Amino acid sequence: MKNRKMILGIALMAALALLASACGGDDEDAGGDGPSLIYVTPNPIGVNKFLELGQVGTQRVAEELDGTWKTFESTNDSDRRANIEAAIDEAPDIVVLTTFTLIELADELSKANPDQKFILIDACPNEPAANLHCGVFREHEGAYLLGIMAGRLSEAKEIGSVVALDIPFLHRWSDSFALGAQSIDPSINDTQVFIGGDNPFSDPARAKEQALAVAARGADHIFAVGAGSNGGIFEAAQQEGFLSYGVDVNQCPEAPGHIVDNNLKLVDVLVEQLAKQVLDGTAGPVVAFGLAEGGTGVMALESDEVLADSQCVIADHPDIVAEVRDARDAIVDGDIVVPDPLFG
Amino acid sequence: MFEQIFDAALFDSATRAMIPILLAALGGMICERAGVFQIALEGIMLAGAFAAVAGSYLAISWTLGVVFGIAAGMLISLALAYGCVTRRGDPIVLGIALNLLAMGLTGFLLPQLFDVRGVFQHPRIDGLDRIAIPILSDIPWIGPVLFDNTILTYVALLLVPALWVFLFRTPVGLRLRGVGERPLAAETLGVSPTVYKYGAVLASGALAGLAGAQLSLGNVVQFAENMSSGRGWVAVVAVMLGRAHPVGVLAAAALFALAEALGFRFQGNGLPVQITDALPFVVTLLALIIARKRFARLLDLTTAA
Repeated sequence: MKNRKMILGIALMAALALLASACGGDDEDAGGDGPSLIYVTPNPIGVNKFLELGQVGTQRVAEELDGTWKTFESTNDSDRRANIEAAIDEAPDIVVLTTFTLIELADELSKANPDQKFILIDACPNEPAANLHCGVFREHEGAYLLGIMAGRLSEAKEIGSVVALDIPFLHRWSDSFALGAQSIDPSINDTQVFIGGDNPFSDPARAKEQALAVAARGADHIFAVGAGSNGGIFEAAQQEGFLSYGVDVNQCPEAPGHIVDNNLKLVDVLVEQLAKQVLDGTAGPVVAFGLAEGGTGVMALESDEVLADSQCVIADHPDIVAEVRDARDAIVDGDIVVPDPLFG
Repeated sequence: MFEQIFDAALFDSATRAMIPILLAALGGMICERAGVFQIALEGIMLAGAFAAVAGSYLAISWTLGVVFGIAAGMLISLALAYGCVTRRGDPIVLGIALNLLAMGLTGFLLPQLFDVRGVFQHPRIDGLDRIAIPILSDIPWIGPVLFDNTILTYVALLLVPALWVFLFRTPVGLRLRGVGERPLAAETLGVSPTVYKYGAVLASGALAGLAGAQLSLGNVVQFAENMSSGRGWVAVVAVMLGRAHPVGVLAAAALFALAEALGFRFQGNGLPVQITDALPFVVTLLALIIARKRFARLLDLTTAA
């Protein structure tokens, strides 16, 4: 018994020692006497584009308004809390938090510190406190634009989506993609499959088999809505020669020639605009950013130079790029209404 | 619609799903025969998948990747062997600790070594090529499904008869089973349970490491955090369902894989994911109930021989 406990103790200690690593560094930038912001990440920024954009947005607001900014990077559950509490201790004008991972801490700590203003990006608790402002995306608008591309490019008139989970939130991607394609040609057939299993957001092997199954049905355009599983879907695209679509950031370089475009979340735009609204006192409890606000988008809406370097297939189809840009304007003007599957 | 579901691509997909489970389950089977309950397969597979990608990336060679995968699997299983054979610890407690360790360790090393988070994909990672076996791969249906696969697929399939011969037709296999069934009797006859148990646990580490290599260099060519995604646990169940018999384990792994591949197909035809996700487990339960008696008698006959 004693030995067993000792062994278990050693194993656990080794695991803890590895998991616990130092709290992230602060990128302090001495600025003027404008507003102060502290950006707290749920994970190290590393090469995570999404978290990096949050920092870009924070920095941009601070510099534009002659203020100061800092970043606290977290590595695990316990230092997430410690980092947010450290940020609150410094009493900046705004504490900027990102992603679903921080939703519970944001809810709890904003209620415990009513005088501190918070921004939470890409998630929102059910009943946010008055001092917590959520910035969320209207992902369905970007997905609809991707659908238009698929509608124009699909020769088989068969499209599909490989989605991590069958939850209403993720139907914002898959349903809107199908809707966009069918706005071009109502006869286009759509197949949606869900990765499921133990680890839907990070199981590329399973996602690849699902994508191959959809391709075997004849689909030649498949939307990859699997986060960490997307790599498997892109491998299937390269193997079977179908075209795919990425999410969140520009994923085209992962499989050049096989990814048409991506449903982008422009976190920097969202942080910047929401922070300014909070400082003005005009921000509501939940602010949704779509194409009109520049919070969501696709690579085809970027400048021609950026698009040319994107390695996206859509860059070779200037006529469709023009059509997508027109559709964006129509959505912004309200001429096209993309229904939200989350409330539909 | 029938032809749309039951085509060669379905069995192709099932084979790919089966091989990692089969490799790990064969490892678990050897341990089971030596009297060690091996539930660290999930963690060993994950460590093997990570090490295989790391080795392949560093050397730009799948061979070294596979060697790394085996080595990582054996390293983790060495800890298990030391803990539960030398120190007589509980293999379940140790197994769970090692599964957690593998998850934490790979998640920690990924950003440290490769500066990425979540997924590691790189052109330098050399994947396992499909090797078509001449003549055999031309057989309609069966050919492309079984004889146009990665080298580890052939290794896994050949291990089934090889391990049957080893366990039931060689003196070493007999002693291994003796150690598992009657450790005291084995010891009295001068067979060291320690040596045999160490051997069995290390072999299971090598096989589960291979399973990981097939997953991260064969099924896909990339590593994703926690990508074993429960396949090691399915292997643990396959060992029990197959009553630690090579043919039984193969049948159990094939059943799981086929049910999973079928589930993907049915989803395309509109069956909800909640049902297709449960399919492998429902099929297993049914197989367990229906086939148990007949299957058990059949296996007892072969084992008794």
